[in-house]
Amino acid sequence: METFVQSLVSGVLMGALYAMIGIGLTVIFGVMRIINLAHGEMVMVGMFGAFWSQTLWGLDPFLSILLWAPVMFVGGMLLYRFLLRKIIPGGELNTLLYTAGLSLLVANLALLAWTGDYRTITLAYTQAPMRPLGIAVPGALAIGFGVAVVVTVALWLFLGRTDMGRAIRATSQNPEAAVLMGVDVERVAVVAFGLGTALAGAAGVLLAPSLYLYPTVGELLIVKSFVIVVLGGLGSVPGAIAGGLLLGVAESLGAVYVSSTYKDGIGYVIFLLVLLYRPSGLFGVGKR
Amino acid sequence: MSRRARILAGTAGALALAALPLVVKNTFFLHVCILVFMWTVLGAAWNVLGGFAGQVSFGHAALFAIGSYATIILFLKAGIAPWWGIPLGGVAAAGLSVPIGLLCFRLRGPYFSLATLAVAELARLVALNWEWLTNGPIGFLITTLPPLQILGYSVDWESKLPFYALAAFLMMAALLSTAWLRQSRLGAFLAAIREDEDAAEAVGIDTVRSKVVTLALSGFLAGLGGGFYAFYFRYVDPDAVLSIGLSMEMVFIAMVGGLGTVGGPLIGAVFLTTVGEAVRERFQVGHLVFYGLFMMLVIRFLPEGIWGRVLRLLARVQARVQRHGAA
Repeated sequence: METFVQSLVSGVLMGALYAMIGIGLTVIFGVMRIINLAHGEMVMVGMFGAFWSQTLWGLDPFLSILLWAPVMFVGGMLLYRFLLRKIIPGGELNTLLYTAGLSLLVANLALLAWTGDYRTITLAYTQAPMRPLGIAVPGALAIGFGVAVVVTVALWLFLGRTDMGRAIRATSQNPEAAVLMGVDVERVAVVAFGLGTALAGAAGVLLAPSLYLYPTVGELLIVKSFVIVVLGGLGSVPGAIAGGLLLGVAESLGAVYVSSTYKDGIGYVIFLLVLLYRPSGLFGVGKR
Repeated sequence: MSRRARILAGTAGALALAALPLVVKNTFFLHVCILVFMWTVLGAAWNVLGGFAGQVSFGHAALFAIGSYATIILFLKAGIAPWWGIPLGGVAAAGLSVPIGLLCFRLRGPYFSLATLAVAELARLVALNWEWLTNGPIGFLITTLPPLQILGYSVDWESKLPFYALAAFLMMAALLSTAWLRQSRLGAFLAAIREDEDAAEAVGIDTVRSKVVTLALSGFLAGLGGGFYAFYFRYVDPDAVLSIGLSMEMVFIAMVGGLGTVGGPLIGAVFLTTVGEAVRERFQVGHLVFYGLFMMLVIRFLPEGIWGRVLRLLARVQARVQRHGAA
């Protein structure tokens, strides 16, 4: 029973961080109908950002989110404006292949610059696990979880309460109608891409103290983020939150009760099953 | 090009391929040729599905790996010589393509692509963990190849010549089968599916069946390429034959050469191999940077690919000549 609660808790903690990555992907998909295969690399860039700002400048990795989230936001906007926008009229397969090329480019530039070595971030204050109610909770993951919850709530308020947020939701519901209502869809797309990239980068920063860092970690994360958004329904933010938590828990329980070597495979199997039987997501809110 | 011109060009190409090793004796040059031929087979395998039918697969490494594992396992565990193992590997890959296709083709467009990515990752996990069959992360190594006599001569496995001949043969087979596919009934179905799947279904094309058959053909070619890889490099492990990078290289060749053209994969393979070998010498890691960069540049500026552009320019010249001839 204790192992069950234990792995359930760490699954939920990890799941909140997965959810953040998934929300980024789903916001981009919702507005632009782009499946961004380079999304995992954005997470990787965030992870390395946290690593280098700590190694070079002694900046606390969790605090460095205040630096890297805005940097990734601007980076994402520039990426969309100057590279991706011209590709989109060529059709969704061209965009898919283009982002695949981008993902190869970014991952291998990182490999050239930082070598393929595995790196870790160690923090003095998270060495010993926290023990609320007798359950051992990894400290770094718990802090990451806390920040992820704050970011997600802030995003929720942004999407629900601000003009830009409403414009983003309107565009992902129906781009033509949004244009007719006077929404500047092009501007919305730029902001949405920046937002999605910033979320991926921020999730990377928060994950950095809990995972191994290496340039091709994006390969693993991109498949996970597809599992998440497909579980929740492509284009749906609440779906991505639920999908992230579900995947986190499934992996963590699967590692204990099924097999730890096949842990990463559990996500793929769920992914294929959902794609086959519930292609619009478990909650039926996704768009095809 | 007219039918006669194409047959002439093909025959001339085949003769040139046969004459090449008699003229050039440089081992490294032959090695590069072998790589080009092998990549052409793989690019053609991807192109059959991705270019002709418009179904973008990010998991072709799995089909390649089935061919290479089948060839090397049949040889090391059952004593079946690799030259029999290569076609058997192709058949195994084609056979496994059918269930993969029936599963993944329930999805369309980008969803299909994502599903193939997941299938390839699952295959990699299986190869890493099913040690009884695959030897896990260690993989397999062929130390000595069995002796073979052809027309009374025994084949020297240390020279490049036998591999050159085999690779050239496989490449011709791959190019001929894509040329056949393009003018066949199935090829017309695939073009219809690529342009508008709903319309294709509405006019009575069994789209799933056409796609599955095409995937099996694609898998057969990828399996042949994989088998040849195992035979030539004599070493197979999950990192070598099941990486996402390998799947992407096949996409790259077809893309750069020209989607849905017969000659495109050859052009793409020449490009990939020469650029690849040039940058690999300078950069030990991260040579895929250039593949990523070129892929982005090609999609942005040359979406029809190098060979696709050449064919279009040729057609324009031909049209102009005809117009002037008539006037």
